[in-house]
Amino acid sequence: MVGLADGTNTRTMDDRPGPARRPPARSRSRGWERWAPYVLVAPAVLIIVGLRLYPLLLGVNFSFTGDGDRNGQPVGLDNYAALFDDPLFQQALRNVGLLVLLLPVAVAIPGLLATFIYLRVPGHRFFRSVYFFPAVLSPVIVGAIFNLLLAFDGPLNSLLRSVGIAPVDWLGDPGVAIFAVVGVHIWATFGMALVVFLAGFATLDSALLDAARVDGAALHQVIRHVIIPGLSRTIQFVFVTTMIGMLTAMFGLLYVMTSGGPEGSTYLPEYYIWIQQGQMNRPALASAASTVLFLIMLVVGLVQISILRRSGRED
Amino acid sequence: MGGGVRSGKWFVAAPMALLALATIYPLVFTTNVAMKTRHEYILNRFSVTESLRWDNIDAAWNSVGMARYFVNSIIVVGCSVAVLLLLGSMAGFALGQLRFKGSRALFLGCLAALFIPFQVIMVPLARTMADTGLLDTYPGLILTYVAQFLPFTIFLMTSYYAGIPADIIDAARIDGNTLYGVYRRIMLPIGRPALLSVGILNALFCWNDVLIALLLMPSAEHRTLMVGVTALRGQYSDDIPTFAAGVLIAALPVLMIYLFFQRQIADGVTAGSTKG
Repeated sequence: MVGLADGTNTRTMDDRPGPARRPPARSRSRGWERWAPYVLVAPAVLIIVGLRLYPLLLGVNFSFTGDGDRNGQPVGLDNYAALFDDPLFQQALRNVGLLVLLLPVAVAIPGLLATFIYLRVPGHRFFRSVYFFPAVLSPVIVGAIFNLLLAFDGPLNSLLRSVGIAPVDWLGDPGVAIFAVVGVHIWATFGMALVVFLAGFATLDSALLDAARVDGAALHQVIRHVIIPGLSRTIQFVFVTTMIGMLTAMFGLLYVMTSGGPEGSTYLPEYYIWIQQGQMNRPALASAASTVLFLIMLVVGLVQISILRRSGRED
Repeated sequence: MGGGVRSGKWFVAAPMALLALATIYPLVFTTNVAMKTRHEYILNRFSVTESLRWDNIDAAWNSVGMARYFVNSIIVVGCSVAVLLLLGSMAGFALGQLRFKGSRALFLGCLAALFIPFQVIMVPLARTMADTGLLDTYPGLILTYVAQFLPFTIFLMTSYYAGIPADIIDAARIDGNTLYGVYRRIMLPIGRPALLSVGILNALFCWNDVLIALLLMPSAEHRTLMVGVTALRGQYSDDIPTFAAGVLIAALPVLMIYLFFQRQIADGVTAGSTKG
């Protein structure tokens, strides 16, 4: 059969790394062919190793050297000591804590909305595509738009004034600004989590829902006893991706809306890294902050991988 | 959950409609402002513009330099996506279809690279780019975008190709194709739906990015559109309508893509949540 195909019958099945059972191709390209899988992955591997893994090691190494006069000299843990002494970085970490506290809200909102859409609330198709749309906008665009809306003399405050509520300095009050920015972030991204939830609902056994319906269960009972257990994998996935989004996708908003202010109240680690690297010219200190952020991400990532692997087994 | 919920549905639909309004309104507001004169905006922020005037759009496009930034963004995004799709589909075919020594480890390594955010590597990366003369050049930015979004691309392409029956490849090889031929003649055409979905997502990621472009393209004439918008804010803080027009120009391509490819975007976003 092989001979029929390519006119040469000189080859026998060999121990090529490619899958067995497959008939060999033309013999003239044999050596080249043998390495085909490696040739196909090589460019990607080179780029990922060179521009993602290697810089990671370089950065960790870098965080143990000095800035300025002590450029390149080993300084042990000095950068980390300076980092945790810096009120701005402390504020950034406190804000990470705040994000963790707000995480359930950021997950519950799209979860609840997805539930209603799944239960075919009137207009569910329309809601689905409208809610998803801000998710495709750049944080820069979103931030710029909300800069206009949330300005002290802006539309939101004039709306509040017209119904008799005192105006709020959304982006200028240190106690309010971080909530304003996180609120805008949630506004911009809940559609992403929503479609993930809806994809999860598609795998839900509808017989269970029908049974609950027949039993006359109330909505909150359905959510507690059918939806949450049935969607546990999706819910975990949304928790992790939402957390990653909060830790790494808010730079654009911070840069455009508050620049970390007022009084440093809206600093997050990613913004701190940017400032130390780009504005303060302290790359080694920035690398130490990067390493701390990476450790935070590592914990989140390990949780994620364990979910992915578990879901792989269950399939 | 019978009759009670049916009437209850409208109690849910009303706040959901309100939320939908809150989702749409900011962009409607911005569009409206972009059509107004400065005077109109100062007098009343909410009033509907009296006429569809393109003066602000024209000003933002021509005198502010958005046209230049727009072209920069198109070049960078186009090249990045093309390279991503090429390398991603090659690696995805190899990892998803050809079991070879080390393929499992490579796939897991790729998965691990997904969890390295750019913020963590940006300091050494900027230095490497400066050392190699790639800082402030198109190839430097394109290469960085490729590195940034390649793990995700490979992940999705691998899952897609893993679902294709091996018989197809076997048949093609019997017909005398080398593995490279199989990739070019079978895998690329078969992968079209996944490539479309991944390509659109990558285009959005690259188009919307500001941190990487800000870090690697410092000079004004190399600004991408998003960096241009951040600069606009400083320059036009007292001319809100022109500012709004600039924002609108930057948002428009994304809105078009959303209108046409909503399903592909949703497919790409959810692929990771349901596949192992």
